[in-house]
Amino acid sequence: MSIAQLQAEASHAHIHPPPQGFIAKYVISFDHKVIAVQYFITSGLFFVLAGLLAELVRAQLMHAHNTLLSPQTFNEAYSIHGTAMVWLVIIPIMTGGFGNLAMPLQIGARDVAFPWLNMFSFWLFPPAGLLIFLSFLYGAPQAGWTEYPPVSLHTPGTALWCAGVFLIGVSSTITGINFMVTIIKMRCPGMTWTRMPLFTWATLVTAFLSAIATANLSAALAGLFIEKVFSVPFYDPANGGSPVLWQHVFWFYSHPAVYIMILPGFGIVSEVIPVFVRRPIFGYKAIAYSSVAIGLVSFMVWAHHMFTSGLSRWVQLPFMILTMAVAIPTGIKIFSWVATFWRGHVRLSTPLLFVIGFLSMFTFGGVTGVMLASVPADIHEHGTYFIVAHLHYVLVGGSVFTIFAGLYYWWPKMTGRLLDERLGKWHFWIAFLSFNATFLPMHWLGLLGMPRRVVYYDPQFEPTNMFVSISAFVLGASMLIFAYNAIRSAKYGKIAGPNPWGGRTLEWMTSSPPPYYNFAEIPIVLDGPYDYGKPLPYANISQDLATEPVA
Amino acid sequence: MTFILTVISGLLMWGVVVFPIDDYLPRASSAATDIDFIFRFMAFFGVPILVYVNGFLLYFAWRYHTRKGDDLMAVGSDIHDQPALEAAWTIIPSILMLILGVISYLVMPKYYLASAASVATIEAVGHTFYYEFRYPGLKHPVENEMHLPIGKQVTIDLTSSEDDIRNAVIHSFWAPEFRVKQDMIPGMIVPIHFTPTRIGTYRIICTEFCGLGHSEMVGKVVVESQADFDAWFKSQQQLQASAGMQGPIPIANGDAAAGGRVFATKCTGCHAVGPFSERKVGPGLGNLFHDPDHPDLVTGKPADPDDVADVIEHGASGDLGTMPNMQVNQLTDKDVANLVAYLESLHK
Repeated sequence: MSIAQLQAEASHAHIHPPPQGFIAKYVISFDHKVIAVQYFITSGLFFVLAGLLAELVRAQLMHAHNTLLSPQTFNEAYSIHGTAMVWLVIIPIMTGGFGNLAMPLQIGARDVAFPWLNMFSFWLFPPAGLLIFLSFLYGAPQAGWTEYPPVSLHTPGTALWCAGVFLIGVSSTITGINFMVTIIKMRCPGMTWTRMPLFTWATLVTAFLSAIATANLSAALAGLFIEKVFSVPFYDPANGGSPVLWQHVFWFYSHPAVYIMILPGFGIVSEVIPVFVRRPIFGYKAIAYSSVAIGLVSFMVWAHHMFTSGLSRWVQLPFMILTMAVAIPTGIKIFSWVATFWRGHVRLSTPLLFVIGFLSMFTFGGVTGVMLASVPADIHEHGTYFIVAHLHYVLVGGSVFTIFAGLYYWWPKMTGRLLDERLGKWHFWIAFLSFNATFLPMHWLGLLGMPRRVVYYDPQFEPTNMFVSISAFVLGASMLIFAYNAIRSAKYGKIAGPNPWGGRTLEWMTSSPPPYYNFAEIPIVLDGPYDYGKPLPYANISQDLATEPVA
Repeated sequence: MTFILTVISGLLMWGVVVFPIDDYLPRASSAATDIDFIFRFMAFFGVPILVYVNGFLLYFAWRYHTRKGDDLMAVGSDIHDQPALEAAWTIIPSILMLILGVISYLVMPKYYLASAASVATIEAVGHTFYYEFRYPGLKHPVENEMHLPIGKQVTIDLTSSEDDIRNAVIHSFWAPEFRVKQDMIPGMIVPIHFTPTRIGTYRIICTEFCGLGHSEMVGKVVVESQADFDAWFKSQQQLQASAGMQGPIPIANGDAAAGGRVFATKCTGCHAVGPFSERKVGPGLGNLFHDPDHPDLVTGKPADPDDVADVIEHGASGDLGTMPNMQVNQLTDKDVANLVAYLESLHK
């Protein structure tokens, strides 16, 4: 299409009047940027609670037969820690938080396709979290975030837990559908699929996963809830149910959910690297299409969580092979990211430090992931601290570190101010070192015979556990630096200006924070976003915003 | 740089090859050797991936990072695709995964399929929060401590407290030194097979959360010579006899004719009255107590009436399928006694 045609298309968009009053602006807001901040604040609170629960767990595990917590409290603590981290922290931040904050800006849209649904989806989230934490009053679930029946049917709080996670699932499904439609229908003129920023690519795949997979979680939870409350048997063999049925339906959601938690992180990494290395991302198409490949394969690997559940080996075989196959697109991404550093102009700012930490730790988590894919090796490793170590390498070293990269990177788009770099670097180094000190020894514990979800353990593991616990306290304390930095930035943060990092994607082509309508005129895209050294590939962008200052 | 990283990963790979896994976690079963080999194989090829990714990442970040006075607006290389390189990092990992898949596949049958020489079938039942082991020839189960003769392939049928299914939960049977793990699932009987290869006392650990006592659910397994095992077995028999423990179901005075009627309504769906090889679902039972083809039990002696009563009471699982227990079959104690009498009467 010619520029004239694109201009004609862009001129159709109109600006709605801005909302008036505190409630309309900040509470029942339809503005994707405000909703993003709402997600970050809510998830941030749950992150604090989930983090404190983790520190409780580690405090108990300092000694082999510690009397700090009762077994019941301990079991509740790790169960709600896992539940909250997955459903109340990582998934909402990755989709509702970053997806809402960056995706509509990156595609040059004024908002998401369904702003009312976006608001509704957010407001399902705080009550859901409340229900999950209220289950403590009744005796919270104790069987971990996976809540395998029949044992999960024996705790009274399971019903509330089901209701809470179910609500989160509904919220996630709605957001998925909303983002799918937004990305497919609302890209600004000229933004073809291969001109789309890689974070938006990742959000697109994530949206499909959320919309399709979450229904299975809802089904699994509905069954568990009905069985718990109305005694209709689904999973309890005492009444003719099948406990393995839950595992199938639950993991049919929860394996794709692993990618819901990491694909947006991959997207953040793909954004941060070219900006701070100041050169085009290596293998744009390979990175984009490997996200799609991972999304597709993620639906066909769920039973690798069930290699000790008595499946026939003819069932195990395809799941093993497909799980190993996931390593290939993931490897392509990692190698492409590392190659982007080659002959760049690398600025080691905080967002990039977190990305480098991510690359290092996620690669490690990937290698242990392959070790878990092989059925004979998994037979030994399943259900041990090896799993705990692996999942924290991919979900903390992976997801949480990319979340912090994204926060340092996009903080100015939320607040107009930058976070302090010196504090950010302290945060990174302490978190990175203490993270590895916490989780690396767990691989060893697991292989030598320490099962997960135990309140007491074999005293031979006590010195290692003591070391792990102390490291975990340091990791927790490092988050205080971030909290201080975030609060401090409100007053002392450097004013960012529209484009503090010299980015080339569209979110940097408007003020920080952007106006209610995002762009005064709908931008027009003429080329891909990562061609450093070439003029900006946009029309309809006011010239003073399009300069490239560098923080 | 590539040279330095290659040397580092070469050294680490050598470390993986010579690492004495056995010193930290003894290999006490036939499967352990294969599983350790797979683990070593994965670590061997994982090491260069980690070294190259981290090494190049750090090297590039150091080599190309902007220093004081550099032009922050400068841009780096505009090379954004390199088909040969990308093909290499797609194809090489694919080949490695394929090899790993094949090796894993070749090892899988070793613990899934029992060889014909399997000498013993033991039932292991998970309870909250202990293990119960049922040996053929022992009228009562032993708790938390199982004994196995060295060098004999054993089949263990795993399940979870089927006698109290209302409170049954999933447990797991993990013997780290055997590199064997299988969930114990209520309502399912899953057999595992392995051959203990080293004398010693090892742990059995529950790895599926099963309730408040989960972390205390630890049993042990003693691998010993055949002579020691026989001695232990005999001492258990004597212990149970001296404690005045009776068989769970009295089978004296069974009425063969009544048993025949029960057999006709409850058993003929799966069992024929014929030689062992005459299978319907289960084997033919016409010559049960004398047929040399009938799977012998741990003592190697022919089945005795107590064993048969035990199978009828608890059900059984084998490569033919699963036989339900007496509750499922709706049998009374008297029926069991009558059935045993009937089966004994069949041999002419």
